[in-house]
This record gives sequence, structure tokens and C-alpha cells, in this order.
Amino acid sequence: MGRRRRGEALTIGMIGIPGIGPIVMLAVWSLAGSWFWPDLLPGAWSLRAWRYLASPSSGVLEALATSLGIALAVALLALGIGWPAARTIASRGFSARRGVIFLLLLPVLAPPLASTMGMHALFLVYGLADTVSGVMLAHLVPTVPYAILVLAGSFTRLDPDLEAQARSLGANWWQVWCHVTMPAMLPGVAVAGVFAFVISWSQYLSTLIIGGGQVLTLPLELVSFQRAGDESMAAALSLFFLAPPVLLFLLVGRFMISGEWRHTR
Amino acid sequence: MFFRKTRSGLHRSRHNKSLIGLVPAGLVVLGLFAGGVVVAIGQSLGLWSATGGHSGLTLVHYAGLWRDREVWRSAGLTIGIGLMATLSSAAGGAGIALALRRRAARSGWISSLLQAPLAIPHLSMAIVLMNLVAPGGLVARLIFRFGWIGGPEGFPELINDGWGVGIFLAYLLKEVPFVALMLLALLLRVGEGYEEVARTLGAGWWQRLRHVWLPLMAPAGLTSALMVFAFILGAYEVPALLGRQYPAMLSVVVQRRYQDIDLAARPGAIALAVVLSLVTAGLVWLFLRVSRRHGGAERLVLF
Amino acid sequence: MRFWLIVAIVSTILAGGCRRQTAQVVDPVQPAQLATMSWNELTQRARGTTVNFAMWSGDEARNRYFREAVAGEVQRRLGIELRIVPLSDAADAVNKLLNERLAGRLTGGSIDMIWINGENFRTARQGQVLWGPFAEHLPGLRFYAESARNRDFGTLIEGYEAPWQRAQFVLAYDSKRVAAPPRTIADLRDWIRSHPGRFTYPAPPDFTGSAFIRHLLCHFGGGAEKFENGFDEQLYQQAAEATMAWLNDTRPFLWRRGETYPSSPQEAERLFVNNEIDFVMSYAPSFASEKIARGDFPQSVRTFVFESGTIGNYSYLAIPFNAANTAGALVTIDYLMSPEALLDQARALGIVFPHEPGRLSPEDQSRVGNLPRGPATLTAEELARHLLPEADSRYLERLEKDWRERVLQR
Repeated sequence: MGRRRRGEALTIGMIGIPGIGPIVMLAVWSLAGSWFWPDLLPGAWSLRAWRYLASPSSGVLEALATSLGIALAVALLALGIGWPAARTIASRGFSARRGVIFLLLLPVLAPPLASTMGMHALFLVYGLADTVSGVMLAHLVPTVPYAILVLAGSFTRLDPDLEAQARSLGANWWQVWCHVTMPAMLPGVAVAGVFAFVISWSQYLSTLIIGGGQVLTLPLELVSFQRAGDESMAAALSLFFLAPPVLLFLLVGRFMISGEWRHTR
Repeated sequence: MFFRKTRSGLHRSRHNKSLIGLVPAGLVVLGLFAGGVVVAIGQSLGLWSATGGHSGLTLVHYAGLWRDREVWRSAGLTIGIGLMATLSSAAGGAGIALALRRRAARSGWISSLLQAPLAIPHLSMAIVLMNLVAPGGLVARLIFRFGWIGGPEGFPELINDGWGVGIFLAYLLKEVPFVALMLLALLLRVGEGYEEVARTLGAGWWQRLRHVWLPLMAPAGLTSALMVFAFILGAYEVPALLGRQYPAMLSVVVQRRYQDIDLAARPGAIALAVVLSLVTAGLVWLFLRVSRRHGGAERLVLF
Repeated sequence: MRFWLIVAIVSTILAGGCRRQTAQVVDPVQPAQLATMSWNELTQRARGTTVNFAMWSGDEARNRYFREAVAGEVQRRLGIELRIVPLSDAADAVNKLLNERLAGRLTGGSIDMIWINGENFRTARQGQVLWGPFAEHLPGLRFYAESARNRDFGTLIEGYEAPWQRAQFVLAYDSKRVAAPPRTIADLRDWIRSHPGRFTYPAPPDFTGSAFIRHLLCHFGGGAEKFENGFDEQLYQQAAEATMAWLNDTRPFLWRRGETYPSSPQEAERLFVNNEIDFVMSYAPSFASEKIARGDFPQSVRTFVFESGTIGNYSYLAIPFNAANTAGALVTIDYLMSPEALLDQARALGIVFPHEPGRLSPEDQSRVGNLPRGPATLTAEELARHLLPEADSRYLERLEKDWRERVLQR
């Protein structure tokens, strides 16, 4: 038993490192003033990076707003588009499920390169290239299928007879929605929304290609700081960048322990 | 007669109504994604171009790839790193899932801990790794303090190295927890029943692993491995930051040529991207074949 | 119905997003109108508009200076809102313009002015994505030497860009680590061979790395002057052969045995600071002093130039063919190239003062003379004495391609 305990502790330590280690290290780097070889800690501490990020002239706050706006809109759109499609796919009479799932998996799993380049050509013609709207459309490609797959999973667990029963008991559509549909779907909606948000939030290449460097989101700023060799700035920006995904995952984590919707209420 | 007609009519109208629900999603998947791919294929075949200069149907861009030494070396590197990272993630993930299944069944925070690296974007992970294991990075400084190396030059090349070790490490940090989570979910569903039976039958540790756990985990392990591999094939940020200029991974080559100031390089880049997409489509198909034998595909994709 | 509600909400957001990105269209001034329009008229027309300035922005100090000090000054003096569109490479903007021309977006472009030179200017001119000619109509042009107005990396300017800043290649070293830096190409070769792993250069097509290998080309071709005007295939072949031989000869002794290179000067600077390499290079003669002041470089860093000289060039401001606000761009460009704006840039960023001293007023001349010089920066006379002209950009493109095939991919 003791050996197993130690083995477990070791494994937990190992999986803790990639999860928590990066955040601690980024925090230290973001506060480093100058840090020359072979010092293990910064020779001088400085708030330079944070002050610069917070100043309107850095453009980082603007990028943050752009990123948030795009990711929120994409998450809402993905839910809105995904909901009716998921409902159809999950319904019993739907026969083409396998083919549809193949189609849905392609954008989730396939590299975004070819489709994004094709979209870029189309968007150039229709004036959507270099615009926020164009970038949002590009972000819908990986997020909508994801939302559909997650929501369809929830819909298959939702008993349609329950809705019918509620209706036959005289509930109007709003009551059915509030007391039957939504409670059952909430975990799925939360997970789908969060994933759509996080996928859009961390898109780099599709934003770069479709946005043409004109639509500046956080990951683009982050790469340019990293390429410019400014480590403390890149670290501070990294923390900005990973905070929303980490917080959101913690928030909905209990819903998504691997498809086991063990939400306790 | 009358009765049957109304019923089928009613049924059809309900069915049609629900099919309308597919339209917006169809616009995204077929219009944007498939449309994008079709346009990309058209451009790579010289059929169409938003930027002029289309030549009519030609395979010249594909033939160019075939003769391109850089493409072959990049393909070798990409497949090599992809396979190594995928196999290691599968093995590591399976090990972690097995080791932590009992504790995870008791307390939920194990899963939360595994989810943390999942939430950290690949880009951040690459940046952390860069500052950590570069020759002048924190690990090298620590080892220098112990006196094991005389300076940064004594530290092994792990970033921008010829074998893509840095890329491999970054993917490992991200994908091991992913596979572990997928398998942990499976193990929690299955429970300890088989294990107990095997134990009462006198099976040893190795026998239980070989005959109980591995067969149980194989299908889910394979599907998650395929997902990881497909992802690595096309992912850009990690190799762009941690790789070297030559040979670079395929996605980096595609992007560099696509953004080349010489627009003539663009169809070749798109052709390479199309090839990558076709390969991945094949993998997705394989993924579905495998997962069909094992529950619904939907369930496996949903983390 | 709730679905459509969501769609409605989101389309509102989308529409908002659309509007934010479309540039304001203010009936752009045409090049032909410039001859008949007075400068006053132009200034009036530009007042109250917004100018989108696409500039390379890999440097925090520079970004901050332009977004705060310069934008404030432009607003105060000209009544123009100057917005910086950050670029990681000017080539990205040229690429975007080429795309837009071919896709038929001839008006209402989102960039009004762009910082450019060299092969990007040549590509832009060939692709006809620049607005002009306009430079002759700018009052500020008179401060610049003839050479700056005529050719940019060998390409005829013909009024399609206005000279702005000047750059000269320098190398930096830490005087605590290297006592006497090698100051000729031959000495550098010996130094590299006797100090394995301690030298490297940014991989071309990076601007700075490309300039480094161009020094070799000029050296082996018998002087930079020979490469200045037009492209000579024979000269190139002969010089490139010797250049590739030099590069491959030293390659095994470079950092990482020359199997990989830093992808930017900034990455090389990180290696330098981490004591992995002993030299860094830059197109900004004051870069080391600036880094020392910021605490990024140790106090003991100094710069040097080759005895045979280092390449210098001008960078320019141009206006895209589909710029929405050409009047605003013209007025802003003229302000940015004025002595007072450049003196301020020299004080804030340590840039080389680009004007021809003889063309300045006596007061401005003394102001230029009194500019502070950092501890690691060479004197203006020293730099001027070692200034070499820039080679035709066709040499540059060929050399970068050959470097990729014959050095990197070997």
C-alpha cells in the first residue's frame, strides 16, 4: 500500500508539473527586469512588462478586446448554429448520422491550412479578408462542428418524451425550456460554449491568414513579442492569454470529465 | 387510407422542419470548410485564383512538390515527430490513467489537475518550454550551478534542434494529459470488476495488464492517438517557435511559402496544404472505422 | 425561435465588427491634383482625418514612442489622428496590397502610409500597388541628399516614396568577453574558426542577416560600389561563388555548427545575452547603447564596423494605391521627415540623423551636433567614413535564394 501511495504521489507530481509549473514560471519571467546567465532568479525585478501591457499605447488592451469580442461572438454563434443541427442529428428518425459525423469531424481534426487558404481567396474577392467578420467566419469552421458534436451528445441523453409530457401537462414553450430542456442541456451547452470560446481564443494561423495581420488578437501579439525576444513581455502576455481558458476549464471542468456528464445538482 | 396519408404527411413535415435545423451548420461546414477546400484544390490545380495568374488545369504544382527535396525532408520530420509524440503520449497517458484510476474514482481533483495543461494553449506551452530548456534557459542554469556543464554550450540542444526534440517535448506536455483524461474516463466507466475477477483467478500484475487493461483501453487509446497524430500533422505554433529553419515541419513550410512575397510560390503552398488535408481526411475515416467498433464516435471526441 | 434570437444578437455583434474595420473614406486626393493644390489646401483637407500608418513594430520602445509621443504631436500640429498598424514585416503589407490589387479592391484600403524600402519597394512598384508620384511635392524633401531621393537599393524611386530614416550596419560585442573584435572579413573568418560555436547571424531573408551576407558579396565582388547600379550576372556569379565558399568554410564553426540560425536579430541578441554567442549585428548604430540603457545588455557592450566599411541605406515612407486618406498621409509624411520630428526621434530612439547637414539651418545643424551619444555608439564621423552604398535589390534576392539552397539546405 505504501508503495502504491508513493507511486501515486509521484504520478500526481508529474501531471502537476505541466499544469501548474508553466503558470508559476511565466509569473516570474513577467516580473524579471534583467536576468543574465547564470542567475537562477532575475537580477532585478521590474513591473515594466505589466505597466507596458496596461498602457493603452501598447495595443495589448485593444488586442485583448478584439480577442474577447471574437471569441465570445464565435462561441454564441457556434451554440446558435449548433443547437438546431445537434437536435436534428440526435433525433431518432435521423438516418444519415454516420456520414454527417464524418463531415463534422473533418473540420475538427483536419489541419486548417487548405480550407483557410481557400477561404482567404474567397474572402479577398468578397471583401471579408482583413476584417474581424472574416476572422469570425474562419473561426466558425472548427467551432461549429465541435459544438454540434457536444450538444448532440447531450440531446441523445435528453428524453424527448419528457418535453412532450411537460407540454401535455399544459406547460408553454417557455416553461418547457426553463424546466425541462435547459436543465438537461446545461452541461452540454456550457462545455460546447467553453470549447468554442477556447478554440477561437487560441486560433493563430487562421487569424493570421484571414486577418492579414490587420486583425490583431492576443496570440498574434504574443508571437510578435516572443519573436522580438522580449521575454518578460511575452511571459506577461502569456498569462493574459492562458487565464481565460484555464478559468473557464475550471468552471465547467466538472461537466466534462470525459463525456461523463456527472453533474450533481 | 385517409388516416395513413395524414400521418405520413405529418411525419414528413416534422422531418423537414428538423432538417431545416441543419441548414446554418451546413452553410458553415459545406460552405466555408468544404468550399474553402474546393477553392484551395482549384487554386492548386491552376484552375482559379483570386489573385490572377491562373493557368488552366495543370498538375505542375503537385509535380513540383514531388521533386522538392525540402518537402520530402519536411515530410520525414513531420511524420517522425508525429509518430514519436503520438506513441509516447499514448503510452504515458495510459500509464497515468492506470496509476491514478482508483484515486480519481474517489476524488474529482485528479481530473481537474489533468485538465490544467489541456487548458494551456500550445503557444504558451511552447514559450514556457523555450525559456526553460534553451541552452541559456533555466534548466541549463540549474545544471550549471551543480557544475555538470561549463557553460550554455555544454547543454544539449533541445530547442531549434535537428531532431525536433523541443517540438516533441511541447506536444508531450500537452497530449499526455489529453490521452490520460480520455482513458481515465473509460476506466472509471468500466470500474474494477474485471480486475477483481482476474485477481481472484490468480492473475499476476503483468497478466492483468496484458489481458485485462490493455484490451480494454486499446480502442479508445487508438482513437485518441489518431486524433493526436492528425492534430500534430497540421499544427503550426509549436514547430514555428521551437523548430529550425531547415528542415521545418510541413505546416511551417506551407505557411512560409503561402506568405512569400513572390505570389508565384502560393499555388505550390496550397498544393502541399491540400495533400496534408487529404492525408488527415484518411485518418479521420480510419478513426471512425476504429471507433465504430467501440461505442459511438461522438462520445470519444467529447473529451 | 430562440435560435433566431441568438442569430439576431450575434449578427448585430458581427455587423459591429464589420464597421470597426472598414476604413473611413475621405475622397482621396489624386496624384495629378498635387501639382495644382497648395500645401495649405492639403493641410486643411487633412485636418480632422485619421491616418493608418503600417510600420514594422518589433521594438517596444519604438512602438511606445510612435503611439504616444508622435501620435500626440501629429494630433496637436496637424489635427490628424495617427493610428499605428503594427507589422512583423513590411513584406506582409506589400503582400496584402498585391492581393487587394488583384482582387480588385482599388479604393478604401485600410492602410494610408507604410514604412518600406529595398526589395519590398521594388516588389510594390512592380505590382503597381503604390500611390504617386508624390515625393517632389513634399517641402521636407529638400533636406535629403540626392542619393537618397533617386534610388532605393538600386530601384528608381521616381517619387513613389519619400526618404525618412537612415540606417547603417554595425556589429556589437561584449568588451569583457572579446578584447579585440575582428574588423576585416578575413579576420572574422579566422576568429570564427578559432572560436567554434561562438558566432552566428540571423537567417536570411531576415533583413539584418541578409545584410551580413551582402557584406561578403560586396567584399568578394571588389567593393560595394560595383553592386550599386543595375544587376550584372557575371559579377554576381563570381562574387556569389566566393561568398558561398566563405560561408560553407566557416559554417562548421558557427553556433550549432551552422545547422540552424537565429530567425531574427532579436533571437540572436538573446543568444548573445545568454553568453551563447559573442557578436550580434544590427542596422541601427545606436541599438547597443539603447539596450544598455534599458538593462538588456551589460554595460561593457561596444559596437564596431568593418575597416572596409559597412552598408548603409535609407528607409522610406510610401502611400498604398488604394489608400483612403492620401491627403492625411502626405501631410503626416512631411511632418515625420522634418528636422524637428527627426531630432526628436534621434533623442528618443537614438536613430541616425538622416538629413544632409549642409541643407539644414545653422540652428538645426548645431542641434544635430549636440545630440547625445550612448556609450556603445560610434561617432557620426566614424560611421560616415565607413559608409558603403546598398546593393541593387536583385542581388539581394538572388543571394538570399542561393543562401537557402547552397548553405542552409546543404
